[in-house]
Amino acid sequence: MLHMKNLSKVYRTHMIETHALRGFDIHVKQGEFVTVTGPSGSGKTTFLNIAGLLEEFNDGDFLLDGVNVKGLDDNARSRLRNEKLGFIFQGFNLIPDLNLFDNVDVPLRYRGFNAAERRERIEQSLAQVGLASRMRHYPAELSGGQQQRVAIARALAGSPKLLLADEPTGNLDTQMARSVMDLLEVINAGGTTILMVTHDPELAVRAQRNVHIIDGQVSDLIRKTPSLHIADANASVAA
Amino acid sequence: MFQYYFKLGLHSLRRNPVLTALMVLTLAIGVAASISTLTILHMMSGNPIPDKSDRLFVPLIDNGPLDRYTAGQMPEDDQVSYRDAMNLLAGGHGERRVALYGVGDAIEPARADLGVIEVEGIAATSDFFPMFEVPFLYGGGWSPAEDKSAANVIVLSRKTSEKLFGSENPVGRHIRVFSDDFQVIGVLGAWNPAPRYTHLINGNGGTFSGNDDLFIPFSTAIRHQQDNDGSLTCQGEPGPGFQGRLDSECTWIQFWFEEKSSLDRSKLQDYLDAYSREQKKFNRFPRQNINRLYNVMEWLDHRHVVSNDSRLSTWLSFGFLALCLVNTVGLLLAKFSVRAGEVGVRRALGASRAEIFKQFLIEAAVVGLVGGVLGLLLSAGALYLIAQQSKGFAVLAHMDWMMLALTFVLAIIASVLAGLLPTWRACQVMPALQLKSQ
Repeated sequence: MLHMKNLSKVYRTHMIETHALRGFDIHVKQGEFVTVTGPSGSGKTTFLNIAGLLEEFNDGDFLLDGVNVKGLDDNARSRLRNEKLGFIFQGFNLIPDLNLFDNVDVPLRYRGFNAAERRERIEQSLAQVGLASRMRHYPAELSGGQQQRVAIARALAGSPKLLLADEPTGNLDTQMARSVMDLLEVINAGGTTILMVTHDPELAVRAQRNVHIIDGQVSDLIRKTPSLHIADANASVAA
Repeated sequence: MFQYYFKLGLHSLRRNPVLTALMVLTLAIGVAASISTLTILHMMSGNPIPDKSDRLFVPLIDNGPLDRYTAGQMPEDDQVSYRDAMNLLAGGHGERRVALYGVGDAIEPARADLGVIEVEGIAATSDFFPMFEVPFLYGGGWSPAEDKSAANVIVLSRKTSEKLFGSENPVGRHIRVFSDDFQVIGVLGAWNPAPRYTHLINGNGGTFSGNDDLFIPFSTAIRHQQDNDGSLTCQGEPGPGFQGRLDSECTWIQFWFEEKSSLDRSKLQDYLDAYSREQKKFNRFPRQNINRLYNVMEWLDHRHVVSNDSRLSTWLSFGFLALCLVNTVGLLLAKFSVRAGEVGVRRALGASRAEIFKQFLIEAAVVGLVGGVLGLLLSAGALYLIAQQSKGFAVLAHMDWMMLALTFVLAIIASVLAGLLPTWRACQVMPALQLKSQ
């Protein structure tokens, strides 16, 4: 699904060069749930931004769902982002003056779906996160956890192959964080690949694989069997 | 996507309402200033007879003396003498020919309660009505035979007719004017060309204001020895009496030719030049005789119908619009800069830079559209105030459909231009940076 080889990213100012990623190798398979951990400044967010085609890299190779993204122009990168990726952010990043329906509608507009298909997808994805009845509400009328669920619905509406989550529970209390994590596990169980940056070790160990980044490089990989957690997550959402 | 972006644009008007109101007002004021002055200019410089303006010609013949003349000097006067008018009429060149001059008198109505009515009008040859496509409410103009016999026939303007006869058809009735009885043979329909191109040199009102209350045959006016109501230029002393004026080289008659096609202009020029050469044999035209021809639009230009002041004020108003645009650029920069977060989110969700550019530019155009509506209202107000200044302005200060459409086009173009820089800046937002800082 996602393959980076010997990737490097350097931020340059007129004074200094900062190597955010160097010799970065990672391979994420279709359907995997991978958490990314590491100390602040280690390169986690840079990795996620490059994976999300929001930033370019300096060197190395990057294949996203078999597409070599190196040298793609802005239109091609945007189309790829829209078709294959979904984003969940720590700050939810909903557009405050659009209601939930219109927020979820945003990526579908760029995809060029017709009105009927957009409506169906919006209703379906809001129902999936348990907010179908509130689609005419505005983000400010929701709790943090609910806002993050809307962001997840927005990310899911376009049926992405890879969901990128940057500390999605960072602004939530423990109970809401668990609920969001449960939801992500259900989504992953449905076949969507998830790459999640987190500082929370409790959440990190719930993934099938944890990638630890230090100084812009992958330092170790922890693998575990996912079946137990998926079962737990299903039980949690059902409850 | 246009519809979606347009909807977002309307939605965005409600965001930062104070900023939006300022932008709309700034644009509206700039547009109103430009459109109101442009309307005046447009009305001043409009073609009063578009279907034949390129084949109607005013001929000017230099019949001045050699005294104080330097070779190549352009003639000073814009009318022709009676002798030349008669000769050109008799020459029969072109499709139609009209000689005309302004006349004025008082009508003595049959109804004593009306009192004497001061009137002004035109003495013209019979081709006047078909040449200038004058519409009739009742009856019609006079015939060439009535021209020849100097008949006492008269055509009234609708206003004069209603003043004298109410709403009834007065054709066949008689009125007393020019100390004689005249039979009414026609009443004009709505005809009020602006500018009054048929006789720009007049003594009643000027280029844009003033009314022609009646029309009589040219020969009838001459028979009644009617002085011209307008300009008279004499290079020497004319002989005594009205006959002296007719025999003199004084210029006081306006002349028009109608040709079949604009291509016949050169034939007309040749005809005029041949006429000058012929007249030299009678010891006339001592100068080089630079005969000039003007079609309608050239004639308006030659007579400075559009004043330099009008052009200058239009340029100044567009300068003011440019200033308003600079302000709008600043306001749009402020409005769009607070939306960097939204740009980041949209980019992450699949919007290319081009899509962001379209969205924000359409939002700017929506501001322009609203500014156009307000600008239209302000323009209407400004034109109303201008119309109160003088009768001439009252004729000009009217907005036609073209200017109405131009108001919106101008407002939208202005807002799109003002939106270019802020939109470009919005497109430069680094989504990764915005998404993390949200």
